[in-house]
Amino acid sequence: MSLAFTLCLVTVFLLAAFGTPVSFSMITGAIIYLLISGQDLALAGEQIVQGVYNSFILLAVPLFIVAANIMNAGTISDRLLQFCVAIVGHLRGGLGHVNIVSSLIFSGMSGSAVADAAGVGRVIINMMTKDGRYPASYAAAVTAASATIGPIIPPSIPMVIYALVSGTSIGFLFIAGLIPGLLMGVVLMIMNRVQAKKLNIAQEERTPRKELPRITLRALPALMMPAILLYGIYGGVTTPTEAAAVAAAYALLLATVVYRSISWGELYGALKESAYSSASVGLVIGAALIFNYIVATEGIPNQIAGTLGEMDLSPIAFLLLINVVYLLLGCVLDATTVILVIVPLLIPACRELGVDLVHFGVITIVNLMIGLITPPYGVLLFVINGTTGIPLAGMIKQVVPFIVMLIGALLVMTIFPDLILFLPRLFGYQG
Amino acid sequence: MSKLVQRLQQAADGVAALMLAAIFLTFCAQIFSRYVLNYPLGWAQEVGLTLWLWLIFWAGAFCLKHSDHIRFDILYQATPRKVQRIFFILAALGVIIGFALSFLPTWDYITFYKIKKSAILKIRLDYVFSIYGIFLAAIILRYLWAVYEHIHPAKWAAMEARKEPANPHKGEL
Repeated sequence: MSLAFTLCLVTVFLLAAFGTPVSFSMITGAIIYLLISGQDLALAGEQIVQGVYNSFILLAVPLFIVAANIMNAGTISDRLLQFCVAIVGHLRGGLGHVNIVSSLIFSGMSGSAVADAAGVGRVIINMMTKDGRYPASYAAAVTAASATIGPIIPPSIPMVIYALVSGTSIGFLFIAGLIPGLLMGVVLMIMNRVQAKKLNIAQEERTPRKELPRITLRALPALMMPAILLYGIYGGVTTPTEAAAVAAAYALLLATVVYRSISWGELYGALKESAYSSASVGLVIGAALIFNYIVATEGIPNQIAGTLGEMDLSPIAFLLLINVVYLLLGCVLDATTVILVIVPLLIPACRELGVDLVHFGVITIVNLMIGLITPPYGVLLFVINGTTGIPLAGMIKQVVPFIVMLIGALLVMTIFPDLILFLPRLFGYQG
Repeated sequence: MSKLVQRLQQAADGVAALMLAAIFLTFCAQIFSRYVLNYPLGWAQEVGLTLWLWLIFWAGAFCLKHSDHIRFDILYQATPRKVQRIFFILAALGVIIGFALSFLPTWDYITFYKIKKSAILKIRLDYVFSIYGIFLAAIILRYLWAVYEHIHPAKWAAMEARKEPANPHKGEL
């Protein structure tokens, strides 16, 4: 490692530790590197501007953010929840199951875990805690745990960013997430059932059968959305980036024409909020472009590949090792940064060891989503704490059993790659 | 003065929201035109990418507050306010120096593109890329002002008094 690169890393870590935005820390570190290694200081701006200006697939990021925010501003989530209550509400731990099933459906429409927790999650927490049915901390824990499914089932914003850094196809990545997402839903429902018995939660009454058609009909336009997106992408109608625009357009259509549940003011608020989120993510993406350029110039990814190659790991052993690294990183770093900065370091090693990049991508994102609910840096816990005021300490205690279940599901996905690669292969993936 | 700043802030937010809306509408127009009219719009991709570039650095320059950014603030949040003040000043000086060093070479790089035009709409590329220079300048100025606020005892006391509840996790996915 050269002196310039060492000082670059020191700058990035110091600035970030002092609370500076990650993007500014990386840009400043890059400029220090260029200065000391005697290169043109304009290279930082050049990489950032050209990188953003030439990455068409990245446009899916702001569009998926818009779609999620419009869905949350309208009453789409209310109707979905009523539908889920009618389907699974009467089981033991019913509203917990409703929470998980609604997350599964919602994740087929949005690609963001935070949007899921802040939108549909907030509504279901109110339902669960009304009249003291469920302890608030438990309701919050189920919401946080099930929100992690959001970016696993297509569409998925983190997968778009992974596709950018790994060069894999978004279409195959998306479809590869479907079975793992459902598996996560199943293991969470099993744990919910166990916990409901332990907490001695009363069972809800079954929704009368004759109500079912009406409730389903009300929710149907929203339920159609995952189908439309999947058909759009895999029927060859739209590219995944265009599918993001379709998702936003459909959400807007539902909120304005079909359900008439959004005002101009709310629409503007959703757009402004989306612009803010898109820009803060965009800045980190831009900064990562110059940072990764430097890391590649220094040959770091190849050194890592060489070291791991010498250790002669089997693909499974490598993935198990990476799981541990990711789970630790996920405790302190946010998902976007890990995908943008850590993943490029590991891609050559994957090629060297014969690890499939679609398999690796899904494992990576499942790992990082579990990281969203592990303290101390559990973003989903913070978001729920911020929107509902439920204290963190109780939430953390209740979320632990769910984390254990999700890690179990992750292990199954790691050891059986076919579980993830089965669907992409059906659609012609050669891996 | 503060009213003017507020108005300008609202205007900047409006521009950011409008750019995002325009990206969305461009895409809708493209999809409609290609699949319904069977007539792909050549300009749509370029407009989308140009607006995306502008949205990121426009909002980065004029909209996003410190707390709107993606940050790792575990250590920062755990330290006493007095230490945070020193942390902030040191880090801000680092950013100011780094960004200022790169400003002139970057501006040269941008103006060099006055000889090139974009592929389809033939917009001069120095105009397209200029937003990054504006972003660098805006961040330098904003951080200089923030450093002044953190150093000046009365300004610091006022900031302490109106300390807003932190919500540092807006940009997360």
